[in-house]
Amino acid sequence: MSAAVPEVGSRRFRMPAATLGAHAGTRLSVVILVALGILTLVALFARVLTPYDPVQPIGALNLAPGSDGHPLGTDSIGRDILSRTLIGVQVSWFSSLVIVASGLVIGGIVGIAAGVFGGWLDALLMRFTDLFLALPGTLVAIAIVAALGYNLQNTLIGIAVVWWPYYARIIRGEVKSFAARPHVEAARVAGASRTRVVFRHIVPGVVPTAIVTASLDIGNVVLLLAGLSFLGLGQPAPAPELGADTARNLSQLLSEWWVPVIPGLAVLVLSLLSNLGGDAVRTLLARRR
Amino acid sequence: MFRFIVRRAGSAVVLMLVLSAIIFVLQAVSPGDPVKAYLGANASPEAIAAKREELGLNAPIYAQYLRFIANLLQGDLGQSFRTHRPVLTDLQSFLPATLELVIFSFLVAVLLGVLFAVSGSLRWKGGALFRGPLLVLAAAPPFLLALGGIVLFYAQLGWLPANGRGVDSSSPTGFVILDSILTGQPASIGLAFQHLLLPGVVLAIAPAIAIGRILRSSLDATMNADYVRTAESKGLTPFTVLRRHVVRNSIGPGLSMAGLQLGFMFAGVVVVEQIFSWPGIGNYLAGSIPVSDFPAIAGVTLVLGTVYIVTNAIVDILQVAADPRLAA
Amino acid sequence: MSDSAARVEGLRVSLVRDGVRSDVLRGIDLTVGRGEILGMVGESGSGKSVLALAMMGLLPVAADPQVDGTIRVGDVDMVHGSPEQLRAVRRNELGVIFQDPMTSLNPTMRVGAQITEATHDSAESIRLMSAVGIADAPLRFTVYPHELSGGLRQRIMAAIAVAGRPSLIIADEPTTALDVTVQAQVLDLLRELRDEFGCSVMLITHDLAVAAQIADRVAVMYAGRIAEIGATEEIIHRPTHPYTVGLLRSRLSLDTPRDRRLLTLRPETASAAERMKGCAYHSRCPLAVERCATEQPPLAPASQGDTAGTADTATEHLRACWRTVADVQGYTHETSDATPIASLARPGASADTTATPAAPAVRITDLTTVFALKGGGRRKRQVHALRGVDLTVAAGEAVSIVGESGSGKSTLLRVIAGLAPATTGRVELAGRGAQMVFQDAGSSLTPWLTVGDILRERLRPAKLDRAAASRRIGDALEAIGLPETVAALRPAQLSGGQRQRVALARATIIPPSVLLCDEPTSALDASLAASVLNLIRELRRSLDMTVLFVTHDLAVARLMGDRVVVMTEGTIVESGDADDVIHHPEHPYTRSLLASVPDIGVLS
Repeated sequence: MSAAVPEVGSRRFRMPAATLGAHAGTRLSVVILVALGILTLVALFARVLTPYDPVQPIGALNLAPGSDGHPLGTDSIGRDILSRTLIGVQVSWFSSLVIVASGLVIGGIVGIAAGVFGGWLDALLMRFTDLFLALPGTLVAIAIVAALGYNLQNTLIGIAVVWWPYYARIIRGEVKSFAARPHVEAARVAGASRTRVVFRHIVPGVVPTAIVTASLDIGNVVLLLAGLSFLGLGQPAPAPELGADTARNLSQLLSEWWVPVIPGLAVLVLSLLSNLGGDAVRTLLARRR
Repeated sequence: MFRFIVRRAGSAVVLMLVLSAIIFVLQAVSPGDPVKAYLGANASPEAIAAKREELGLNAPIYAQYLRFIANLLQGDLGQSFRTHRPVLTDLQSFLPATLELVIFSFLVAVLLGVLFAVSGSLRWKGGALFRGPLLVLAAAPPFLLALGGIVLFYAQLGWLPANGRGVDSSSPTGFVILDSILTGQPASIGLAFQHLLLPGVVLAIAPAIAIGRILRSSLDATMNADYVRTAESKGLTPFTVLRRHVVRNSIGPGLSMAGLQLGFMFAGVVVVEQIFSWPGIGNYLAGSIPVSDFPAIAGVTLVLGTVYIVTNAIVDILQVAADPRLAA
Repeated sequence: MSDSAARVEGLRVSLVRDGVRSDVLRGIDLTVGRGEILGMVGESGSGKSVLALAMMGLLPVAADPQVDGTIRVGDVDMVHGSPEQLRAVRRNELGVIFQDPMTSLNPTMRVGAQITEATHDSAESIRLMSAVGIADAPLRFTVYPHELSGGLRQRIMAAIAVAGRPSLIIADEPTTALDVTVQAQVLDLLRELRDEFGCSVMLITHDLAVAAQIADRVAVMYAGRIAEIGATEEIIHRPTHPYTVGLLRSRLSLDTPRDRRLLTLRPETASAAERMKGCAYHSRCPLAVERCATEQPPLAPASQGDTAGTADTATEHLRACWRTVADVQGYTHETSDATPIASLARPGASADTTATPAAPAVRITDLTTVFALKGGGRRKRQVHALRGVDLTVAAGEAVSIVGESGSGKSTLLRVIAGLAPATTGRVELAGRGAQMVFQDAGSSLTPWLTVGDILRERLRPAKLDRAAASRRIGDALEAIGLPETVAALRPAQLSGGQRQRVALARATIIPPSVLLCDEPTSALDASLAASVLNLIRELRRSLDMTVLFVTHDLAVARLMGDRVVVMTEGTIVESGDADDVIHHPEHPYTRSLLASVPDIGVLS
């Protein structure tokens, strides 16, 4: 409402950066992203890195972590836990990336279309989106997988179906807010075509928010996937999967705790790294501007 | 305000219809055959045909949907393949345990979340020692927290039980604590509370962080607002400024996040109930998944989904009550 | 009881902003007398608002303030006092009115309750509401802030400020966010508060004329120090600091010669560190000598000789400058003749437009625009932004459209630019169409594109090759007074004035028939604004453009238009030769607008 640019008094001071200070924050962010890069490489070459076949019994039963040749021990039928966990990480990590990417793509298309065209299309798409948002996503995903049958592909479909509306909402909001900015009107007056306005003056502004949203969201997907897998909504039995490997070995918790706990710890590492990665991406993007 | 309530209630009804439609469609495509479930695998073809007719499975799809809705309204959620009892009967006996766990856990989550936000916003000394570990814990899958809790507090320290509700739940209302109070049995209150503690806290960690984070950022924003400076310029004490000017203006986002999280908790409870053998709906669902008991899964989805939708409607209404500008 | 409401001594404040600590106030000595209105005048960044916050003891903790010196309000030192003492002072001794009445009141609390927090008695609150000129006070007691207009909200702020009978009211740009007529009312209100309640007022503003309007004394701030302070008469008519002189002369009035370039201050060229060494103004000062760059001038009596002994510090005329008063005042007279604008009063061949029946550049007939506002529930409110506007602008003519917010002036411009729809009526534009310059230049430039990208976009229809386009961009930048290298920069790397220049380059790189200007200078400091206005006038002549200039400022309107059109409530109420309209207004609305203009001339 106020037209003039006020000075300090009403501009309010930005909250100070993290206690680490400006440069340490950037450096830490870079370190985190490098760690995530390494994780992705490990996941990519998991098949090569596994010391043993993850589904075949190859050693003594229930070896403790640190045993000779089995750094993370073996499970109740003698399979190498390190090998299983590596493959589990691969599945978990790439599935999460796929879900987030699907959210970005579907949500992005819906959000941009709604935001750019406005009018009845906007109303229609957003009604639809809000409807999905107001439904209990996890439960609907469970019901979808249960109806389609239990396998990884159906799990991904089930989650993808309920995952995009969040992105559509955020991206549409950003598109709308950018579209209302004076620079878009200025570009229109300057004679830029409609497509040009959208892809040169609006969308580039939305990209950073979308990327930050997505990177902060990966951790959520990691946890949800692990939860569904724990309940049995994942790949069938012998296949290594982090959540399922915990669930199947629950009975060993008080005797050989590492068998159910190690896959869970792998999930924790994945989700923690993704959360930190999201913060890092946000920090770096904010600094770049 | 009244208009808003009516409108919000209307949209909740629409949402429930949509949810039921989704379940109906999924039921239609699901591989399980309800007829065989009723009659057993060895039923005669004639019996199957008769049952199909009786269940309306030969009618056109819209008629089937109407019938499905009509059945829902009468409380008919179909029959469980696993327990061979009506799903509704199963749910009725399991719902109170779940509600008790979720409500308790929600209170814990709100408490932790508020502590998280306030300790950060008001820069309490040592607050970071509380927030840091909580942030790490919130990144852990709930099943890992549960296992960790069991190993530490049950197996190692022996402080807390890790199995069931501790008290027979066939009491009048099904809410153990409530019943114990009604029937005047303080001992069983203690017992029930002990059993609630571990699963309740495990379930509360993630929502606590979600609530705490959003509340923290809205607290920070509000405390930087011009009108708070105005209030300070009146010479009010920090506590008065907080109570009259900050709380009400920053509660909105926290409130709506709390509602959202309460909804999520009804999904998250499934894993926790399974691990702690909590005799609730979640455990029922967890048991139904491995045997592909679709009517049971659909029933749980419908009931918990309805709870979710209603919760969010109530939260929206509360939010409007807090901020008159939203009531347009 | 002392004879002062507040006494500031040796105040230094440093704050952390965006991770960098900087000295915002660098030694302020100041006394606010009892019952006095003191105007604090400075450009953005001068530290005047921080001074206000420091006096209330409300420096933002997040900025980690480091404070030196003392601020006595009553018996309490607002720098070193305990939190309880500071609160007591704020409760009993201080009242405050902030700039933006839209954000300064709690949106979820009824206004009556917000006043009562300060008065502790609702009857007293209602009395105060009436006292600050709110009609139907008992009715308005129970409304929420969003149900009130900006002017009324500022009155609510005033009621809060006077609650508890403070000895000092600090008003931080209380009129900046308001329309001229409301502005005048708020200034009157401040004076009445002083007269009725006997409190002192510290009026902080960027506009010397606003301060001159009601202040007994004026202090001019520059870069965290006081440049000059004295009785208002003295400061306005016998300024002794080059900065004050510059401010006064770059200020537009209703009598500024229309055919001359506007005088501007030199742009800042020194780095922050350089400025801090000597007089902060030295790199912009036309009178600077060597000493100015190395040694900070103290605030000393302006009257030379021995009069210092007799003068009372509370009313004395003080200045911080190494040059003598005679030097500064001599300079004032020596260069008061400004250079005339390059060419004639009217551009090119159309010297006598009345005789040549050339096609008009803009012809608007019976234009109506109705917006549907999404109101509560089903009641969709309609807003008639324009109600039957007729306007014809001859080729080469410059027309200023002046009005208050909601008058429809901006909507008219947006309809011409094709940004808003015409509900009925016609808009015809000549040949090369219209280009527009927006109010907030910073946000009218796409932040992630370089200046070169932004300008190149306008050249697309011309289908130039790369080299030709770059040459064209270089030329366009040169024409608006920026180096070619600016093409590689993004808007965030430019200053406010540079951004508005880039916006002008975009509009004129292919000269349009009509240049639409929507308050292009209202967000700029006076001197920068003057240089942008100069530029627009030059471009108009060199590129032979028709100009439609929208503004709320009558002085700017008179200066920029051959003709001035006055709008209110979506209609044109008066139109005529600029000087005629300003000096001989016919319509009552124009007269009321003119009466509200804060003008330094009012004093004499």
